[in-house]
Amino acid sequence: MSALATKRLMKELAEIKTKGTPEGIQLLSANDMQEWIFLISVLGEETIYRGETFAIRMKFGNRYPIEVPEVTFLANLQYQPPVHPHVYSNGHICASILGNEWSPVLNAVAICITMQSMLASNKKKERPEGNDRYVRSAPSNPKLTRWHYDDDRCNVNRADERLRSI
Amino acid sequence: MDMSSHPLLAAIDEPPPFPERYLQLRRLDRSVVCQICKEPFQAPVSIACGHSFCSSCIRSSLDVMKKCPACNEPASEGQIRRNRALEEITDSWEESRPIIYELAQPPVTTKKRPAPPESHSKPSSSSSGTKRLKPNSREGSGSKSQSPTKSRQSDDGLPEIPVIDAQEEEDDEEEIQELTENDEAPCPICQATLPISSIPMHIEKGCPQPKNKINGGARKGNQKADWKKVFSGQGLSGKTKEVEMKRITKPNYSLATPAELKSILSEYGLSTSGDKVTLISRVQEWIILFNSNLDTSHPSSISALRAKLNEIESSKRKDKEKGKDEMINQLSNKDGLQKYAKDKKSEFDKLRKEIIERDKKRKEQDNGNGKGAARENAIEVE
Repeated sequence: MSALATKRLMKELAEIKTKGTPEGIQLLSANDMQEWIFLISVLGEETIYRGETFAIRMKFGNRYPIEVPEVTFLANLQYQPPVHPHVYSNGHICASILGNEWSPVLNAVAICITMQSMLASNKKKERPEGNDRYVRSAPSNPKLTRWHYDDDRCNVNRADERLRSI
Repeated sequence: MDMSSHPLLAAIDEPPPFPERYLQLRRLDRSVVCQICKEPFQAPVSIACGHSFCSSCIRSSLDVMKKCPACNEPASEGQIRRNRALEEITDSWEESRPIIYELAQPPVTTKKRPAPPESHSKPSSSSSGTKRLKPNSREGSGSKSQSPTKSRQSDDGLPEIPVIDAQEEEDDEEEIQELTENDEAPCPICQATLPISSIPMHIEKGCPQPKNKINGGARKGNQKADWKKVFSGQGLSGKTKEVEMKRITKPNYSLATPAELKSILSEYGLSTSGDKVTLISRVQEWIILFNSNLDTSHPSSISALRAKLNEIESSKRKDKEKGKDEMINQLSNKDGLQKYAKDKKSEFDKLRKEIIERDKKRKEQDNGNGKGAARENAIEVE
């Protein structure tokens, strides 16, 4: 880890300690400055995710915060990614904030808030189009996928995917 | 998780926040902080939209995306301008913060002060332009120094009165005498002798050795010394006088040959080893370091910049090796192997299927059956 990344993450951790996390967001583990896990639940009565809790994992690279961390929903025995048109069943997320709209002024908690509101605004539980196909060939790091950001539909770059499957 | 005793936070070296009733001071505290690194501005610069960042922060960010991190306005390196006023504000706030922090504390400790012994009682009236030693040493205890003595304020804002306080107060009293700002006095923590005006900054920096005070210590004094060096032709670096203190123009990395990159590196006395990717990243990091060092009135020496570059490169190397080690470690135990096999199962199955299909088609073609049909299916998009 670079000195900048470590220092910055320390500050974020200290801020979580003094100010706490927003409602519905909880830091589950931060054993080092490389990987943090947050728990997210959607608040309110109307949400289709009522009573569900999701775990979101962030891996911070050497160039954080200049470069976006690697963010996925955990998919294991204990936690399952939410059923959402922008979340693949392997936990990969198609969200512009994790791609071309990342900005170094953002931080880990800001990512959690975005994910929480992405879930809160959803009305229909469904997987993204082409989920099975993507999951079968997806790289383990979602940052290696070329995402297409679209307001209502989310798609990986088809041409890119085709190249990889040949 | 329990945040009260997080092991990673043990090493944090943060100045304590202002009490909650001084929201204005908290706001002021935030306003001299770069939104990228969340540290007080270092070599602050502004871009076209009016947002300001540390020079090295915005330069790194613009290398990745050409827009303002705060407002998304298109931005480029050409727009970067030194923000001298902001630098002055940040520096003077950093210098004043310990004093104001101390003033913002509830005045409980004064009640506890024992009567000063007669031998060294002095009239408390101090003429203008002079400063008593005491306020300086008091600042030390309230600033972000790593002094093990005490914290004057607990997290919930309630004042704590540690036992050793009284003792220290007494020690301070003994030394009360009128001194001007230019006089020297021992630092209350490390006992190094320093000009009084520079002691708060010295403590703020965690008591570096007085001769290392180039970036901390008395900034004004250093500035003067730096200029003296410039005028005497030494340059800021001291020994390497051939280095031109002029902004480096970025090469076109995709077109630049390794030789061109190496010539830039050797011009600044940097290592020229490694492949093109390594050279590019070294040149990139160096340009950020070097150019942002020109955006401040207390620049680091060239050798300090070189040391920083080495630090960046070695941390990158460590990260790479660590990633490799982790994978190897995982593969060495049974669970890891199984996980690897599971992760790669789909990939493996796909490859296997493809090979079987290909063999089948080849056979069909050899048999002369349905040539056209086989060809059409040759590239299957799964």
